[in-house]
Amino acid sequence: MNYAVRASGICKGFNTLFRGKKEVLKDINLLIDGEEIFGILGPNGSGKTTLLSIFSTLIYPDRGELTILGIDARRKTHEVRKLINISTGKPNFPWSLTVRENLRHSGMLYGLHGRELERAVDWSMESFDLHQYQDTRFENLSTGVKQRLSLAKAMLNGPKLLFLDEPTTGLDPQMAQRTRALVKRIHRDMGVSVVMTTHYMPEAEELCGMIAFLKEGRIVAQDTPARLKRCLKIGERMRIRYRGDIDANALRAIPGLISADLSAGRADLVIDKNEVTFSRVMRTLQSAEILELELEEPDLEDVFIELAG
Amino acid sequence: MSLQGEINKCLSAAYKNWIISKRNVFTVFELVFWPLISLLSIGLMTRFLNIGGETVAFLLVGAIGLTILQICQIDVAYVLLFDMWSKSIKNTFVSPVRGYHLVLGALLFGMVRGTFAFTILVVISRILFGFDFLAGGVHTVLIFLAGVFAVSALIGMIVCISILLFGQKADVAAWSLSGVIMLISGIYYPISILPDPLQLMARAVPLTYFLEYYRSAYGFGDHNIMTGAVMVAAYMIVGLIALEITIERARSTGILLRLSE
Repeated sequence: MNYAVRASGICKGFNTLFRGKKEVLKDINLLIDGEEIFGILGPNGSGKTTLLSIFSTLIYPDRGELTILGIDARRKTHEVRKLINISTGKPNFPWSLTVRENLRHSGMLYGLHGRELERAVDWSMESFDLHQYQDTRFENLSTGVKQRLSLAKAMLNGPKLLFLDEPTTGLDPQMAQRTRALVKRIHRDMGVSVVMTTHYMPEAEELCGMIAFLKEGRIVAQDTPARLKRCLKIGERMRIRYRGDIDANALRAIPGLISADLSAGRADLVIDKNEVTFSRVMRTLQSAEILELELEEPDLEDVFIELAG
Repeated sequence: MSLQGEINKCLSAAYKNWIISKRNVFTVFELVFWPLISLLSIGLMTRFLNIGGETVAFLLVGAIGLTILQICQIDVAYVLLFDMWSKSIKNTFVSPVRGYHLVLGALLFGMVRGTFAFTILVVISRILFGFDFLAGGVHTVLIFLAGVFAVSALIGMIVCISILLFGQKADVAAWSLSGVIMLISGIYYPISILPDPLQLMARAVPLTYFLEYYRSAYGFGDHNIMTGAVMVAAYMIVGLIALEITIERARSTGILLRLSE
């Protein structure tokens, strides 16, 4: 099977002025099939951007093997570059070039020419709703339009694999949602494999079918969002408001209760997700009058906190 | 790999430099203002010193050569400087473009700008100082220009290599390197007046041979243009290979990532 990305033993360090070499990525092993959007999650400084830069062949790893779309990305870098592209969350382009000029320039870098170039530029502008900004210089664009320009640029060469580095950073919620819709469209309608980084968990939950968690340069977990939540045994949250007395000791003694935060009239519990524990909690609370009961499924934010903590 | 595709990769650099230049008011200073100041200063100085016709030509060749060298070399350097200043270098180097695409494209645009400045300067120097730039014939002018443009490309490549090796702080090389090259290649004087070690260095700089070649048309000694031509061709090949190696090194050290942030 030709994986979109096949990385094995990838290590990368950067020389620092006084502290020698700082290891940023340590023995990264990943298989990305490209069928679903793949998310690389992790706290700031965990090595997400470095990993994506290596996958996009902008920089090279110190050690390890890397195959992109079945091509050896250490040896045939130019072949790989023709088939991929990257869009970053803080996009930068030459300031004084307009949207159309920036796209034309980017297309030329990929060897597009003549009608083929103009068609690609027009298609990109139309696909990403950029026509009204075509004569606006990059320096005068809003953050959201810059982001769209970056995505449009990344689609110019018709990539088979697209890398997105924190694509919604700095966008307002509406624009972020629009960008996520665009990413879905790129993947679903245009058939492009997408590997993205983010530290915004709801975004990963909405977009990504598979997730790898990066912490201090190592992959500490990799699975579907649902399985990650199950495997990490991140409990369900129970928020209870009650009137009367409860037996706090009996409550804390319930097997499967992960944590209990009790205050006057309130109990915030985290329980292992099984019916026995839930039933015993409810039985222990029988002596009090339940005013409000809220149950909350764990989300990726919890997974993130668990893994990054 | 289509030929047209390869040409367009080269033209991408020329296209970007052209758009940025046409929107930059400083371009007028680069192409007209400073070159004229330089030419008029030298020309008027020859009047003040009561210097004769051939020596005026000697000095004006230097002033004109200096101007087009500076214009063209900065265009080649701009190919990375613009990317570095706008932090968009990542866009360039994730694409399947090579160092020679960037240098050749930028050089092409530098040649257009250099030729434009050259035309203005020779017309002004003809009108004001009676300088006949065609004294040696059209081919002499073309060979001289080709040599100066090739040396410009070399200096521009050294600047690009410096940026990829040392990062942002290396852009000072863009402004100072041409000055050093001109000093030792005898821009306003024959290199025979230089100290011996500098004369040796001057003989290793192709610009020396192209200046001597053009000046020989005005009766200033012999020339060895073949040495200059072979030298500049060899340097170009070495320069392009060195640039390619430096780009690969910049990918390994990660400096390309730092220049994008």
